[in-house]
Amino acid sequence: MEDLLDFELDDHLIDNPPKKRKKIIGLDDLLSDHYKQKGSLVEKSRKAKSKRSYSSDEDEDVGEAKLSRCVEECQKEMGKIYGEDESAFWGLQIFGDQKPPPKLVSPDLKSCVSLESLKNMELDCLVEVDLEKGENFLERLLVDRWLLKLVLVRGHLNESIAMWTFNLMLYSSMEMLSTSACDFWCTILSRKNKTDSSVKIDWMPKYSEVKEALEIYGFLTNTPSKFSSNVNLGDSDCIGPPQNIRAWMNFIAAVCQLRSTFAVFTTSETEELLAIFIYLYLDRQLLGVSMILHNCTVSVLNYFTDNEWKSSCEKVAMSIACRVPRDINSLRVVESIIATDSRSKQLRSAVAFQLLLACFDNKFTDAEDMLAFLVSINVKENSCDLFNIYIYLQHRSEATCIKGP
Amino acid sequence: MEGKRRKETKGIEENTLAILDTSGFGKKEISAAQHVQNLNDDRLAFLEAVRTSSIVPENGSAPTSKMYQAIFLILREESSLDSIMASYQLLNDLDMRFPRVYITEKTENESASSVTSLFELVVVEEAWSPFIFGVDCPFTEKDASREKPSGSLDSSGFHLLIKDLSEMDNEESSEESKTKLLRTMLLLQYLVHVLKGDFLPRNRAYKEKMNWSLLRESFLNRILGSRRVSGKALIKDCISVMCKCHVHCGTADDLLCFKNSSKDKLEICSSATTIALPEIEKCLCIAMQKLLLMIMDLDSSKETADMQGLTTRADGVRIPVPEIILDELSYNRDMLSPFLQAFHEPRWKLEIVMQYIRKYVAKPSVRTRRSNGSTNDATFPDILKSFGDGSSTKSILKKISVEVAQLLLAHAFQAYLSLSLKDPSEGINDSEKNVGDCSLVEVCKYMITAFSSLKKTNEHIAILPFGKEALFTAATILSTK
Repeated sequence: MEDLLDFELDDHLIDNPPKKRKKIIGLDDLLSDHYKQKGSLVEKSRKAKSKRSYSSDEDEDVGEAKLSRCVEECQKEMGKIYGEDESAFWGLQIFGDQKPPPKLVSPDLKSCVSLESLKNMELDCLVEVDLEKGENFLERLLVDRWLLKLVLVRGHLNESIAMWTFNLMLYSSMEMLSTSACDFWCTILSRKNKTDSSVKIDWMPKYSEVKEALEIYGFLTNTPSKFSSNVNLGDSDCIGPPQNIRAWMNFIAAVCQLRSTFAVFTTSETEELLAIFIYLYLDRQLLGVSMILHNCTVSVLNYFTDNEWKSSCEKVAMSIACRVPRDINSLRVVESIIATDSRSKQLRSAVAFQLLLACFDNKFTDAEDMLAFLVSINVKENSCDLFNIYIYLQHRSEATCIKGP
Repeated sequence: MEGKRRKETKGIEENTLAILDTSGFGKKEISAAQHVQNLNDDRLAFLEAVRTSSIVPENGSAPTSKMYQAIFLILREESSLDSIMASYQLLNDLDMRFPRVYITEKTENESASSVTSLFELVVVEEAWSPFIFGVDCPFTEKDASREKPSGSLDSSGFHLLIKDLSEMDNEESSEESKTKLLRTMLLLQYLVHVLKGDFLPRNRAYKEKMNWSLLRESFLNRILGSRRVSGKALIKDCISVMCKCHVHCGTADDLLCFKNSSKDKLEICSSATTIALPEIEKCLCIAMQKLLLMIMDLDSSKETADMQGLTTRADGVRIPVPEIILDELSYNRDMLSPFLQAFHEPRWKLEIVMQYIRKYVAKPSVRTRRSNGSTNDATFPDILKSFGDGSSTKSILKKISVEVAQLLLAHAFQAYLSLSLKDPSEGINDSEKNVGDCSLVEVCKYMITAFSSLKKTNEHIAILPFGKEALFTAATILSTK
């Protein structure tokens, strides 16, 4: 029985009053007040009843009306508080309308594979490749992993196959083609780290091509103001990224894992990617693939050299801070940077600090001035927004509890 | 010092678990949806608090069992995607940071000449585990642990989980049931991850020290040895989950069906689960393969232990996994193709295909035999050669259908290619007995001869698409070498 975890009946916990967040404590108090009030009213009316049992029904009605009015008021008050809570869903609309994907150019089958060899070996009756349906056959080779074997045996990925698979990966609306092309690239890239089985790659996508894909998916580069939570929760036909976003993320993670041998992105491009990945955490549609997002963040974080890291970390933190609205989303964004190693910890604290600065419209540059201001806030004042202060304090503790860069 | 530490941990436990405490909630005054949201907020806050106390500090201590249990419970029964993902990630991160079993290696230079390596397997006995065995198990036979998901799973609970997934049907289901499916898949992945973290260091230490008890105590061996679980049924369900996930992710045969759908717009995912399910299914497929591979490795280790006389009768006898797989595949023909496609690991894939051929094609005409004289060690090139010989092809086709023959040959060829492409630094295993010592070019030639010979036996035989692709690959390799 001891192993069973019962949230309701743990007497032990009731003895030690739980540390609740500020809001909920207020609620508890209100609730107990409400019960006290209700209790005393009932008590009174009972007394009244016993005293004046002879009186008319009218008096009783007055008492009951009073009671119900009071209950109503209390409920209204409660409703208000919960109403505030309800709007506090994190989530932004990060993807808008898609742009048309570029036309997929299928490679010339003849250029990548020699059909002549089939003829020479009198195999054409066995294989029966129809040149008209050449692309179909090539797609099958890709999905069934033969294309990968061919490239690995040859140790060479030629330009037309590279471009064709890259485009399939990012723009094919067929799930299995996109995934297979992504696996194809990731396997070839992973071999780059091993010198003796490395594949010669004739064509690598440039950063602009990688970024373009995200824009075609509908990525909103300008700061969105609209909450997606109203749209996304429950509403089924909302706007979101296409399936291919997974392949996009996995591909970038694979590219970033081989910096030592094969650098594809420049430092500033990597900074931009890191900021984008952190920003993507705010899309509720991507909640289920947070493992990929996490893997990407780790890969991109490790892509920086030690010399670059310090300034890059600051830049990324600033770029995130000016994009993210100063509400519950700013809390989410800090929480989504999972602090596992020193770099992620540094980034997390830097982002929190920048967000805190942004909360005060960059009035303070000094951490001590800011602290002095926070201390001076009068919590009891009516105009004081407790939720904002909660956000300040969260960021403040994040920015300092982990040793800064 | 130790006492102080324990006191601190106790304090953390009390405070973090207090976040989950619901006694402060007034349930009647708020709507059900708000109540669910509040609970969810609390769970997320709890997970974050555990992370902050255990993982973020350099010298953080592992969560207590109660805390672990609470996290695991969230993964098992929570219905919001937020909490499911966060608990899954946290459990994996915690396992990485606080492994239950690990190896310490120290190289000490005792003197200038002799270097002794101190190789030690450390088992953290008091660590929490999602599995529970034997007398610890609080459940009686009948109330299966899934009835009360209050903590760790026993062997039958683990099997039930796989069985449930093997019967899953994820077409046209509601958002809620999709989330549930996703949660079950993640749970199973986590459990396989735990099994792996426990098995790999133990197996390594066993090989180093030849101490069977290290493996006997492994979670995997205890699950398979449990009297409540039929190992055979468990493996069959694994295969079935693996094939289902693979088919659901799409195969080359689906290409034609989708060809006609419009291509000018990318498909938008309507919800977070739609975008996540294919990825999680793919990962589950890989996890199931890992589980099968681990069981096969365990069996291999057990075999060596048997030979050394390290095992006792209590260790029991299990049917080897490849045999179970073969049974399943020959009984269930439709599964042959998806299984061979889903199962990527080349060494065991080749072994399974070779066993299939050896079993159903009795004594192929083997020309080259290895010196050690066992009758069943025809290599893959040997088999290919026997297929190429007109008269033996006919006798083979009496035993297996021409489709099965093509699938076996093509998949074996693919596995063979993978093995020959393996990074030399990873080392070609001694047990690569199926590869033989022919060159790649020769094997490609045999491959083409074998298929031509199949075609010659009957002009009307259709070559399967997968066979065509294999032939094309062989021919292209020949033309470039």
